[in-house]
Amino acid sequence: MFGSKMSRLLFILLAIVALAGLAFVACGDDEEEGEEIGTVDVLGIWGDEELVSFETMVAPWEEDTGGGMEFTGTRDITTVITTRVEGGDPPDVAIPAEVGRFQQFATEGKLTPLSACEGLEDAVRANYPQGFIDLGTVDGTLYGFFMKADTKGTIWYNPKFFDENGYEPLTADSTWDDLIALSDQILADGTPPWSIGVESGEASGWPGTDWIQQILLNEAGGTVYDGVIDGSVPFTDAQVKDAWEKFGEVALTEGYTVQGGAVGINAANFVDSSYPPFESPPTAAMVYLGGFASGFITDQFPDAVAGEDFDFFPFPGGAVTGGANIVYAFNDDATTCSFLNYLVSAEAQEIWVNIGGFTSVNSQVSLDSYPDAVARAQAEQLAGAEVFRFDLDDAIGGALQLAEFDGVTQYLANPDDLDNILAGIEASRE
Amino acid sequence: MLGRRWWTPWLWLAPALALLGVFLVYPVVDTLRRSFLDERSKNFVGLDNYRFIIDNPQPLVSDTHSALLNNVMWLTLFTAITVSLGLIIAVLAGRVRYEAVAKSAIFIPMAISFVAASVIWRFMYEFNSDIGTANAAVTSLGGDATAWLQNTNAPQTWLTDAGPDTLPRPIQINNLALVMVGVWMWTGFAMIVLSAGLKGISTEVLEAARVDGANEWQIFWRVIIPIMSPTIVVVATTLVIQGLKKFDLVWVMTGGRFKTDVVATLFYKEAFRIGDFGVGAALAVVLLLWVLPIMVISIRRFQFQEETR
Repeated sequence: MFGSKMSRLLFILLAIVALAGLAFVACGDDEEEGEEIGTVDVLGIWGDEELVSFETMVAPWEEDTGGGMEFTGTRDITTVITTRVEGGDPPDVAIPAEVGRFQQFATEGKLTPLSACEGLEDAVRANYPQGFIDLGTVDGTLYGFFMKADTKGTIWYNPKFFDENGYEPLTADSTWDDLIALSDQILADGTPPWSIGVESGEASGWPGTDWIQQILLNEAGGTVYDGVIDGSVPFTDAQVKDAWEKFGEVALTEGYTVQGGAVGINAANFVDSSYPPFESPPTAAMVYLGGFASGFITDQFPDAVAGEDFDFFPFPGGAVTGGANIVYAFNDDATTCSFLNYLVSAEAQEIWVNIGGFTSVNSQVSLDSYPDAVARAQAEQLAGAEVFRFDLDDAIGGALQLAEFDGVTQYLANPDDLDNILAGIEASRE
Repeated sequence: MLGRRWWTPWLWLAPALALLGVFLVYPVVDTLRRSFLDERSKNFVGLDNYRFIIDNPQPLVSDTHSALLNNVMWLTLFTAITVSLGLIIAVLAGRVRYEAVAKSAIFIPMAISFVAASVIWRFMYEFNSDIGTANAAVTSLGGDATAWLQNTNAPQTWLTDAGPDTLPRPIQINNLALVMVGVWMWTGFAMIVLSAGLKGISTEVLEAARVDGANEWQIFWRVIIPIMSPTIVVVATTLVIQGLKKFDLVWVMTGGRFKTDVVATLFYKEAFRIGDFGVGAALAVVLLLWVLPIMVISIRRFQFQEETR
C-alpha cells in the first residue's frame, strides 16, 4: 500500500493536473460561439465620465441582442495593444486615438477587413466623409472607421471678457497676421493674450505639435501636410520650419503668455493651461487646444455656460486639423460584427452626442442632437471644413511622433537651435 | 522507499524550477533572441540593435548615451548619498532619547508605494510656487522659481545665475531632483539595516577605544566603520541594483523626458511605445549584463561569509 507521504504527493500531482486542465478549458471557452451573441472584448482609452457615456451608448445593443461588453480602458493603449497582439491575445475590438499602430497591424494582416461583417463596409462608405474612409483604408482595404472626433481648429476665449474690452473674435477668413494683431492689442491693454502649457508626462510637447500642424495646414496647404506624413516633405523643409517659427512667435514673444515664456510653458500642464481665460478676472485672453478643452473648462468651472462664459473661434485660415478614435476589429465573430454594426450607426452615436463631449463624423447624426451651440459649432466645423486633415503626429505614430514631441520642448528651451532640432526629428523617421 | 531515490529531491524542486523556467529563464533567453532580430522580431539583424545603442542615431526620441550616463549617475550619486545619510542618521539617532520616533519618521517613506510617492513629489516640484513646496521655499528665501523636473541645466548655472555648464551632462537640476526623491524613499531602509549593525557592536570594544584615549570622531572612523563594513557593503549593493533598475520614479515624474531617461525607461519606451522590440531587448540585455557582475560579487561575498562562520 501507499504510505501517507505517497498519497499526499499523488494528491498534489493530481491537483496540479486538474488545475492545468481547468486553465485549458478556460482558455478555449470563448472559441465556439456560432451565431449566438456573446461578450465582446473591447480595448479603449476611456475612463470615468467618458466610460459611463460609452456604456450608456452600448446599453441598447446589450438589451436588444443579449450580448455583453467587457471594456478595458487605458491611457497607455499603445503599450497594452502591442503586448496583447504580440502575445497572441488581441481584443475583439480596439478603439484607440492613434492610427500609426493601426496601419502596422493592417499591413501585417492582423486585422479583419470591415467587409467581413455584413453591411458594415457599406454603412461606412455611405455615411462617413471620404477623408476618414481614406484614413481607415490600408492597401486598398477598409479596416477601420472613426467615431468621437475632435476638431483641433478651436481657439477658446471668454466672450464676456472680449465684449467688455471690445475685442473681435476672428473668423475662418482671418489671417495669421490678424491673430498677431489681436494678440498685440490685448497685450497693449495689459493682459497676456495667450495661455499655453505643453506638460503631459511622457508625451509632453504634443499641444505644441497641434499648434504647428494647424499653422502648417493653413499656411502651406494640404499637399505639404500630406508630404510631411508620407515622408516626401522632410521636417527640415522651409515651410515646416516657418510653421515652427510662427508657433515660436506666439509662445516666445515677451509678455505673450501668462506662463511667462519657455520655462513656464514646458512646466505647465496642458489641462491646467485651459483655465486662465475663464478665471475671474481672466489672467490670459485665449487658449488654443482641441474641442476636448470644453470638457476641461466645464470640469473646472461647473457654472460656466457654453456660448456665454466660454466659446471658440476658428483658427485663422479656415483649414482644420482634428483627431478621432478609430474602431477596428481582430476577428469577424457574430458578436464582433453585431457590435461594430451597432457602433457605426447614427442611432448609437446620437446617444453619446446627446450626453455631450462627443462629436460624430457620421453624416446621418442630426445636428439637433448636440447639447449646446458650442458643441454643435464644433460638429459643423468638422463637417464643413474646406480642408480637413487628421492630426499629423497621430497619423505618423511611433518614434517620429515622440521625436516631434521632444522637438517642441527643446525648441521652446533653445529656439536658436531649430535647424538641428528639425534635422533630429527627421532622423527618427523610419 | 521514496526518500532514498535519486530523483526525489528533483521532484520536490520541480514546481520551483518550473516557475523559475517560465518566469525567469524563458524571458531572459527570449530577450536575448529578440535583441538580434529586427523591430518586429522577424528577421535576423546581427548586432544592429547594439550598434543603435552605441551610435545613438535618434537622440530626440531615445537618447541611449544620456540614458547610460544617467544610470551611472543613479548608481553612484544615489547610492553614495543614501548610504551616507543612512549611516549618519543611524549613528545620531542611536544617541537621542526619542530614537524610535526619529527612526520611524525616516522609515515611513519606505511604506509608501513608489508610484504614489512619485505623484506626491510631482506636486512638491510643481513650477507654480503657490502649489510647489520646493519653489515656495526657494522664492520665500528670495530666489527664483525653477522648473525642477524640466530644467536640464547644471545646478551651478541656477545658483550663480551665470556661467557655462562645466559639470558632465547627467548632473542636471532635474536629474538631481529625481535622485533626491529616491534618497528620500530609501534612506529609511539604509538607516534600519545599518542601525541594526551598529547595535551589534559590543560596548566593550567602544569602551576599550575610549579608555585608550580615542575621541568620538576617531571611534567612528577607526572602530565603527571597519566593524560595520560588511553591513555597509550589503546595503550599498542593494542600492546599486536599485539605482540601476530605476524605472517607476522616472516614468511617473518625467516620463524620461528632458534627458532624464534611464536604461529601464528607455527599453520600455522602445519596445512598447515605439514598437521596436529589437532595440528594446538590446537595452534590456545591456542592463542585465550591467547588473550581473554586481549580483555575482554579492553572492560570492555571501558564500565567503557563510564559509568563514
